[in-house]
Amino acid sequence: MTGDGMTGDGVTRDGAIRDGAVRDGVTQDGATRNGSTRSGAAQDGSMRDGAGARLRPAGYGRLRLGRATFLLHRRAAVVAGAFALLLAAVCVAYLSVGESFVAPAEVLKVLTGRPSPDELVVGTLRLPRMVVGLLVGLAFGVAGALIQTVARNPLASPDVIGISQGAGALTVGAMTFGVTSYAVLPYVSVAGGLLAAALVYAFAWRGGLHATRFVLIGIGFAIALRSLITLFLTKGDYLVAQQAQVWMTGSLNGRGWDEAGPLGLVLLVLLPLVLWAAYAQRTVSMDDDTATGLGVRLGRVRLGLVLAGVVLASVATGAAGPVDFVALLAPQIARRVTRTAQIPLLCSALLGAVIVVLGDLLARKLLAPTELPVGVLTAAVGAPYLIWLIVRGRTGRPGDAGTGSAKGRGRGRGKGRSDGVGTSAGAGAGSGPVAATGAGVGAGAGVGGKG
Amino acid sequence: MSRLRAQGLTLAYEDRTVVSDLDLAVPDGRVTVIVGPNACGKSTTLRALGRLLRPRSGSVLLDGTELAKIPTKRIARSIGLLPQSPVAPEAITVADLVSRGRQPHQRWWQQWSEEDERAVRDAMARTDVTALADRSVDELSGGQRQRVWIAMALAQETDLLLLDEPTTFLDIAHQVEVLDLVRRLNHEQGRTVVIVLHDLNQAARYADHLVAMKAGRVVAEGPPADVVTAELVREVFGLESIVVPDPVTGSPLVVPGAPYGPRRAAEDEDAEDAEDAEDPIRT
Repeated sequence: MTGDGMTGDGVTRDGAIRDGAVRDGVTQDGATRNGSTRSGAAQDGSMRDGAGARLRPAGYGRLRLGRATFLLHRRAAVVAGAFALLLAAVCVAYLSVGESFVAPAEVLKVLTGRPSPDELVVGTLRLPRMVVGLLVGLAFGVAGALIQTVARNPLASPDVIGISQGAGALTVGAMTFGVTSYAVLPYVSVAGGLLAAALVYAFAWRGGLHATRFVLIGIGFAIALRSLITLFLTKGDYLVAQQAQVWMTGSLNGRGWDEAGPLGLVLLVLLPLVLWAAYAQRTVSMDDDTATGLGVRLGRVRLGLVLAGVVLASVATGAAGPVDFVALLAPQIARRVTRTAQIPLLCSALLGAVIVVLGDLLARKLLAPTELPVGVLTAAVGAPYLIWLIVRGRTGRPGDAGTGSAKGRGRGRGKGRSDGVGTSAGAGAGSGPVAATGAGVGAGAGVGGKG
Repeated sequence: MSRLRAQGLTLAYEDRTVVSDLDLAVPDGRVTVIVGPNACGKSTTLRALGRLLRPRSGSVLLDGTELAKIPTKRIARSIGLLPQSPVAPEAITVADLVSRGRQPHQRWWQQWSEEDERAVRDAMARTDVTALADRSVDELSGGQRQRVWIAMALAQETDLLLLDEPTTFLDIAHQVEVLDLVRRLNHEQGRTVVIVLHDLNQAARYADHLVAMKAGRVVAEGPPADVVTAELVREVFGLESIVVPDPVTGSPLVVPGAPYGPRRAAEDEDAEDAEDAEDPIRT
């Protein structure tokens, strides 16, 4: 058996390959594979029908603008369209519903600038507040997506890694020491957010940004800053403390064009950066070594993405206070709906806006005439949906991710690099933030030498 | 000729030196395999060749220029690399992942060209993953997934390809499949390939140029037939063995000494008896 079988080199080798193909469960593939292996004809006719006309990876469309070409994920584009329609509907509903009901037709009249008896209620009272909510939602949606991309961890939203807390601490501190003007406070808040982010980034930096360190240090800062806020609240005047408490929950009450202006401007200025970010995400979402191998300057790209995210989150926090969970929920829901490999920025932004506007609509109406802060309801709007998506999407994936993280950690090579692997694999389990932290902490602790 | 070479390379993780004063020239258009026991610094060396690790001292030269002085994107047009356990974004499709290999040839405002299309299609055909194009990478078998990653590295269209233990975690059939693929790429397209392997027999089968490392140094290098000997195996791996010609390829085949069993137990006992017998003489 050995002698004869082994001499025929081709027989043994082909046999082995065919076995492999059968085991893989690739039914129609086996024959073509062996065929092309033997002949070495690489560019053969095994391409699928219509492949000749295709000029893009599967699932993408190509957009040409002069010399520029962009890739568009088709499903993401469709979902973005749907989200935009949903957002429009929510906005009209927001303007219709209130102490008095205004028919949607009248709302549209006001929006298109035609004369209407409801001009005052819709255009002057409700519209400015809605626009602030819309912009805050857009900003949080993009900010969360960018920061989660860099950290490769769904937990890493601005309200978890200390940015909102930084904004909060400085704002409440300023209030305690007598600065109560809403003309100044937003800027104080932006400064606080940027400062906290800079500190987290600086402490997480060790010859490179390690995703897990970034998240853990961010969480540490968030806890410390929260204590600081409590300290300010107990030290300060009773009325100030109450005002601060409302601000801390995130509220759109009394917000208008004064807040919307600067926020809109920042969003507009950052738009080109967001376009670039959408492209950079394609490689940053892979592991460090692969991304570096593809010629990505990870340090710079990450800094750019984090910076854009932090500025957006800080400015939004300045306008409406730390509206919890929007930045955490919107990107995760958007990604699960579009099924893209990275977080879709546009969908995430639109969904963030939907969550905030809808949340504020409910906040105004649910216990009317008592008005709740929007932050109380944003989680209620998004969280059940996200949980449903996660539960539904758990089909045979955790096992895969488990092996991935075991490999990354078991080899324990490249020091901190392996913890990035662990984290993303943990996130890949799709079993939510808790599992992701578990993997992240485990990998972070297991920074061993090569065994 | 060697486009890629290392000179006086010393590599360290923090304060632990892993590779010291290593010189290496990667022969163009050949398959170079680096072998050695665990923790000998072979993967670390490969990481440095692919600029994933900055040398503590010495340098890696690409076409005579230090890697550290070449923009990383330009390096990515010459050197493709596949890390040991690459991580794909969740739920990414095969075609999407392979197309990301085109990154070094693109700009953010020029995301897809005819050239990209051709390169991706070619890479997928060569690695036989075309039929898997729309499948999610997570649901593939280990062997298929490895082929997809290799396709991504191929789509990069680089003359040099660095692979870090591409066969780890694969069963023997898939190991053979992957290594055959790599050799085929080398033969058909003349690409220079550097692979890190820990299986000496596989190394001897697939290498044109074999580099044996131990404790951060190169112990021997050259054609497998000249390098792989019983003495080398003893020196590098600390293993007693017999080296015989591979019945299929004729390359050296390392057969380790007899496994523990009744026969060796008896031999060991004999040896002990002999020692016992000598004792009275010594005292």
